[in-house]
Amino acid sequence: MAKTQAALKRVMLGRPMSSGELEHTLLPKWIALPVFSSDALSSVAYATQEMLLVLGMAGAVATSKLVPTSLAVASLLALVVVSYRQTVRAYPNGGGAYIVSHENLGTPPALLAASALLVDYVLTVAVSITAGTEAVVTAAPGMEHLKVEIAIGFIIFVALLNLRGVKESGIFFAIPTYGFILSIFVLIATSLVRCLGGCPQAENLGTHLEVVATITPFLILKTFSAGTTALTGVEAISNGVPAFRYPQSKNAATTLTVMGTISISMFLGVSVLAHAMGVEFTEHSARTVLGEIAHTAFGGGLGFYVVQVMTAAILILAANTAFADFPRLASILAVDHFMPRQFINRGDRLVFSNGILILSALASLLIIVFTADLNKLIQLYLVGVFISFTLSQAGMVVHWRKTHEPGWRRSMVINAFGAFMTAVVLVVVIMTKFLEGAWIVIAGIPILMFMMHSIHRHYSEVRTKLTDPSRLPTDKRAGHQNVVIFVHKVDAAAARAVGYVRSLRPSTATAIATDGAVSAAWRRLAPEIPLEVLEPGRTLRARVKRHLRSRKANLPEDDFLTLIVPEVLHSRSLWEIVRSSRLHRLKASLLTEQGVQVLDVPLVRDQIIPHVDEAQEIARNYVVVLVSAVHNATLHAIEYAETLRPSDLRAVSFGLDPGEAGELADRWLNARIPHPLEIEDSPFRDIATSLSLYLKQFNPNGRDLVVTIVIPEAVVAKTRHQILHNQTALIVKRRMLFQDGVVVASVPYHV
Amino acid sequence: MTPLRDFLEKLARPPEEIRAENLRAWASTVPGATPVASVQSRQRAKVAGVIQNIRIDPREGSGSIEATIIDGTGELIAKWLGRQSMSGIQLGMGLVIEGVIGTSSDQIPMILNPEYTLVPGPEHG
Repeated sequence: MAKTQAALKRVMLGRPMSSGELEHTLLPKWIALPVFSSDALSSVAYATQEMLLVLGMAGAVATSKLVPTSLAVASLLALVVVSYRQTVRAYPNGGGAYIVSHENLGTPPALLAASALLVDYVLTVAVSITAGTEAVVTAAPGMEHLKVEIAIGFIIFVALLNLRGVKESGIFFAIPTYGFILSIFVLIATSLVRCLGGCPQAENLGTHLEVVATITPFLILKTFSAGTTALTGVEAISNGVPAFRYPQSKNAATTLTVMGTISISMFLGVSVLAHAMGVEFTEHSARTVLGEIAHTAFGGGLGFYVVQVMTAAILILAANTAFADFPRLASILAVDHFMPRQFINRGDRLVFSNGILILSALASLLIIVFTADLNKLIQLYLVGVFISFTLSQAGMVVHWRKTHEPGWRRSMVINAFGAFMTAVVLVVVIMTKFLEGAWIVIAGIPILMFMMHSIHRHYSEVRTKLTDPSRLPTDKRAGHQNVVIFVHKVDAAAARAVGYVRSLRPSTATAIATDGAVSAAWRRLAPEIPLEVLEPGRTLRARVKRHLRSRKANLPEDDFLTLIVPEVLHSRSLWEIVRSSRLHRLKASLLTEQGVQVLDVPLVRDQIIPHVDEAQEIARNYVVVLVSAVHNATLHAIEYAETLRPSDLRAVSFGLDPGEAGELADRWLNARIPHPLEIEDSPFRDIATSLSLYLKQFNPNGRDLVVTIVIPEAVVAKTRHQILHNQTALIVKRRMLFQDGVVVASVPYHV
Repeated sequence: MTPLRDFLEKLARPPEEIRAENLRAWASTVPGATPVASVQSRQRAKVAGVIQNIRIDPREGSGSIEATIIDGTGELIAKWLGRQSMSGIQLGMGLVIEGVIGTSSDQIPMILNPEYTLVPGPEHG
């Protein structure tokens, strides 16, 4: 079953890649252009349309303002491109708005930039996919009522491509991007030729202009801010510099210029044609503006359909830009402790899988809530874009002032002017779009900032407590071991547990059961371990906890108290855990119980089952402590491991990058921990599988040869914070239950 | 149909197997290197592999450091006594060692205090 699943995953996503293959995913310029520019280029599909929508409110006369306003937008676009060229040069490791503001402006502006960007990426997906769906609906008018379903289908498609990894999707994505560019230039050329003898006029199907406004400066400003959607996505290249081939900065700057030139030509071309052909647009128009132009130029023939298909294709790819950037930013934020650590994990294909999944979910949610209505979604879009533009360029101004690199004065002036202009546009956008939906984003960004701030504070509190020397377990001899066996049934697993306990020679050993029916059989199995029937109570958890607390109260403070849970698993499937959920909940709830450790003695039924009456003492107990850092939780777990009478005690760490590994080794030696440390490569970043392979060397059989895995777990006071910790421990524990002859001990450390 | 079948077969193969194959191909390009599977005990050999495990042991006198290398045919331990760190020894790096083959306590071939050269691994270049 698991094998079929693994094979299916390989077919859908490709084979897992080892971490060393990471560098192979560097992109040549011609692939980097479509990967990082589809967002910026695709805005051509809707920027002119959004401007006409605003102008249309003042009637057909107002459309004469389209071309001048488009020129203003194009100048701003050119300015931002020139400005970002400076960033790309200065930040070869990727100079997204977050990194630049973090380094130059401090944490609060960086969090503002990060929140704006995250919102921006989600909206890029929602807006692009919706606009792509509109192109489909323009070509196939019968499918109007299926917009939401089509859009969600597109998101799932792009998400799957990205889970495969950027390079392969890069080649795949190049064709439609170049196809779109080509089709737009052919459209512009054809139209110009046809315009020689007077332009053909658009039929404006379904469009009826109702004059509801007059031409005021505010209307022009509103048109301008609608047109600035053409700028969205320009920053993508500056985030993606590390994905370029060497020389990275130079290649990225060149690609940025090429992208800006193409983008401006296409945008101006479309605006001029829309004006010359007399295209009008309202919310009731049957075709998009680009569709109307293509229909007029090609007379509704093949050319019209080609443009629609290419438009839909590039818009879906535009969503891809965000799929590359959102997970990358999330992982950078996670490294800086502003996001949960799970975002750092790369999946089977070396992409940040968790970020991809979250992004897909959020964008789908937006599309469902706004019923795939482009005009509503687009109102939310620009605030985040211009916040990040402004902060990024402002950060660059500070950067140049600090570094005084060659040519810094010129670069600083460019960035300062860029920052000033985008700040002005930001104000214009907020003024003109606030009521139409921008308020949702303006309200949402501070909430995101607060979340990131809280996560950061939480992680640093935990770090302080974990490394607090006054709480470090000291040189004094660690406490003694005391065990309580939880007897569910007197079966083979119970017999194993008794054998294990006998070899531990604990200071005290007792057993507990929920009712007295097992006591006769227990006395035969383990006459030396007294069995106590739990007092009645509301839940199993409550009864066990009450017993453990009363035991704990009579022990010296440093002594360990371990609840041993024997379990017979009937199959190797995860269903088993659902089946025995009562036990599972008991174990989970004991994690938060101060000073109690839980030791799981599982027995999978297809193993050889010892006779119930023979509780064979184990001859060799290899104890492996899983570590990822040297801190109080680790030291506590090692002291615990020492009480298990190990024949061999070692600490093992999996899946660290070389820098982390070196640091861990240094700390280990400095802390003078008298046990060997092994750092094991986990080439496929799957710690549970690496651990299983690692354990093979011990050949544990569960009868006389056992491996005990000790897992240190940092437990935080608030349950809702628990999701930020121990996710790896959870996965490892679940998998190890099904490993022959492996006993798992959870050693919580309360911070 | 052969290319398709090849493709499907490649997909269905466990990734560890593919990695082992890549490692064997890489190790065979190192001049003079013997595959781990065919080294002879108590004879001098040169072996190339990728570092899979690093072990530091503070207990043994002034300490020891071990690196387990794999080359797709087996594993071999390089052990240096009296040291607690070796510059440049990193997981995933290629390591070429030369010395007399012995045996570790776990019956794995081992070279004590070998001469070593670090080289880029198959996945680093």
